[in-house]
Amino acid sequence: MIKVDHVSMEFKIAHDNIKSLKEYVTAMVSGKLKYEEFWSLKDVSFEVQKGEVVGIIGRNGAGKSTLLKVISGILKPTKGQVIVGGNIVPMLELGSGFDTDLTGRENIFLNGAILGYSEKFLKSKYDEIVEFSELQRFIDVPIRNYSSGMLMRLAFSIATVVNPEILIVDEILAVGDENFQAKSKARMLELMGGGTTVLFVSHTLGQIREMCNRVVWLDGGRVKMIGNVQEVCDTYSI
Amino acid sequence: MKNKWKITLKQGCALFMAVYVVFTVGLYLIAGDAFKYQVSDQSIVSVEGNTPIGALQKGDSVEQTFTPQTNILDSFSLKFATFGRQNTGSVRVKLLNDADKSVLLDKQLDISGFQDNAFVTIKPEKQIEAVKGKTLRVSIVSETGTPDNAVTLWSNTTNKDPNQQLYLNGKPINGVLCFNVAEKDVLLFGQYYFEIMGAIGLALLAYCINLIYRRKKGIKSLGLNIINAFTRYEFLLSQLVSRDFKTKYKRSVLGVLWSFLNPLLSMMVQYIVFSTIFKSNIPNFAVYLLIGIVFFNFFSEATSMGLMAIVGNSSLITKVYIPKYIFPVSRTLSSTINLLISMIPLLLVVLITRAPITPALLLLPFSIVCAIIFSIGMSFILSAAMVFFRDMQFLWGVVIMLWMYATPIFYPESILPQKLMWLFKMNPLYHFIRFSRTIILDGVSPEPKAYLFCLIAAFVPLAIGAVVFKKTQDKFILNI
Repeated sequence: MIKVDHVSMEFKIAHDNIKSLKEYVTAMVSGKLKYEEFWSLKDVSFEVQKGEVVGIIGRNGAGKSTLLKVISGILKPTKGQVIVGGNIVPMLELGSGFDTDLTGRENIFLNGAILGYSEKFLKSKYDEIVEFSELQRFIDVPIRNYSSGMLMRLAFSIATVVNPEILIVDEILAVGDENFQAKSKARMLELMGGGTTVLFVSHTLGQIREMCNRVVWLDGGRVKMIGNVQEVCDTYSI
Repeated sequence: MKNKWKITLKQGCALFMAVYVVFTVGLYLIAGDAFKYQVSDQSIVSVEGNTPIGALQKGDSVEQTFTPQTNILDSFSLKFATFGRQNTGSVRVKLLNDADKSVLLDKQLDISGFQDNAFVTIKPEKQIEAVKGKTLRVSIVSETGTPDNAVTLWSNTTNKDPNQQLYLNGKPINGVLCFNVAEKDVLLFGQYYFEIMGAIGLALLAYCINLIYRRKKGIKSLGLNIINAFTRYEFLLSQLVSRDFKTKYKRSVLGVLWSFLNPLLSMMVQYIVFSTIFKSNIPNFAVYLLIGIVFFNFFSEATSMGLMAIVGNSSLITKVYIPKYIFPVSRTLSSTINLLISMIPLLLVVLITRAPITPALLLLPFSIVCAIIFSIGMSFILSAAMVFFRDMQFLWGVVIMLWMYATPIFYPESILPQKLMWLFKMNPLYHFIRFSRTIILDGVSPEPKAYLFCLIAAFVPLAIGAVVFKKTQDKFILNI
């Protein structure tokens, strides 16, 4: 289903972020144009079978988010390749592409289109999205008037309305007030438990133990350990 | 509901070919003579007259020989003088082939209608063909003239052209008549129009069949990839376009009306400036100006928005996978809506100024589509450049101003000497604007070359832009 094949991702970190021609030229002339190579991922390989729930753990900066971005196609790996069979819904950040001047209704279609939903699908699921977000009263109000909680509720409802073949989750997103948090968490668990293939990044080992079949432990861009949940989590928490 | 619009590749190809056939036939009907003949640049232009040849009294004959350099003689004109009075009677004008003395044209002209010192145009009912290189003779014989009731012809006493000889009552004399000859060239394209368009059609048909075959066998191809990408992301594209358009005027009072008012107001300002302060003698200056403004505004808006397409959507590009070309394309398309709206004031001004409404107007979409394709190409280049060099946004402001002055928007093309015309010809916008002006102001189709220039001016930048964009797009995310 997902095959990550010797993937390496290199970032060049310039010491000053050169953004203009003048800076570039002056930096080049004075010989300061040096890059520091930084391998965010180094030779990472693993496979995920259909229906598996795979957890990814590691410390901050271990390359977890980079890996998810590479798998979802946002980043192109410097070396190696990723083969994905099926449609991916990456839940890396909610509400990408919301436009504050548009109404909730318009944003459902805009954000849905950005997430790759078809028009037909959105139209059929529109009521479901509105109902889940509990924003019926405000759906025709420009979202610049929404509170941040309302925004997150709308974004969450759009993002989770699908039943994707592959779901990529960066932390279980529990948003909104207490009531909605419980509801959204239940929805996430439902999505992840529904036989879909899931890649799941979390710092909460409890959740990982609870949900995953296998775990990949990343450390400094390399796979430190891969395998059975119990085994990897135990080693990691020491 | 959407299903109604979903069409298969086969239907799409069939539709495309049908459109092509309609286009070919329609173009032939609309373009007419514009494709068959081209006004020759070797036509004979009159010399400045310095001596009248003397009153033409009854029986007097004036003959002038000349040799056309092109095949078709469309018309010729002679400069008569009336001694400032109203004359009556007639002169007989003939055009003869000098070699076999055959009469190509024989016309009696009523001299009572002549203006003093004005050219009188004589146009044969049927154009005279196959005259290239032959010596022709115009003969003007007075039928009624008396000393105080006659006209005369202007001439110039210094004749340098060996192919032109002036005769007065059969005797060769020095000098040359003041006369113009309008010649036309036969265009091969017009002559073989259906053969050429048929060949292109067959090539397109072969490509369509190839696409269908590849789709069936599952072989990849560039054409299929493009079609797939567009059908797959068509909904996203339409959402992005409608977002750009909705948010543009969201909080303004007049809203969409600005798309309508903007070109109209800027035309009025420039019209007042250029028609009163700088006298310009362009016929129907209002329409001339407005066409330039509408096209240039579109280009300027599309590229300035396209410039920010990638950088401005950085939050999306780093979070979700979307093919990046969507952004410059959607920005250009949302400017296109503006362009279409600003066609309304243009049409209004056309109606008010009584510019001719002809079937040629149906050709206007051609230049509009070319301008859109060109702008997409430019947006590709600019948005990619902007990612790596943020100076582009300031630089582009200057470039676009320079570009405006380099394009004949509010001044006539003739402002540049013939030698520097290449400056205009290098400018894609010039071709689109000129094409539209020919259609709207002259009410005829431009010559075939203009179509070719428009296509080149549209697709070459698109190809360059697409290549630049494709080569650099994987590095975008590291730089935004």
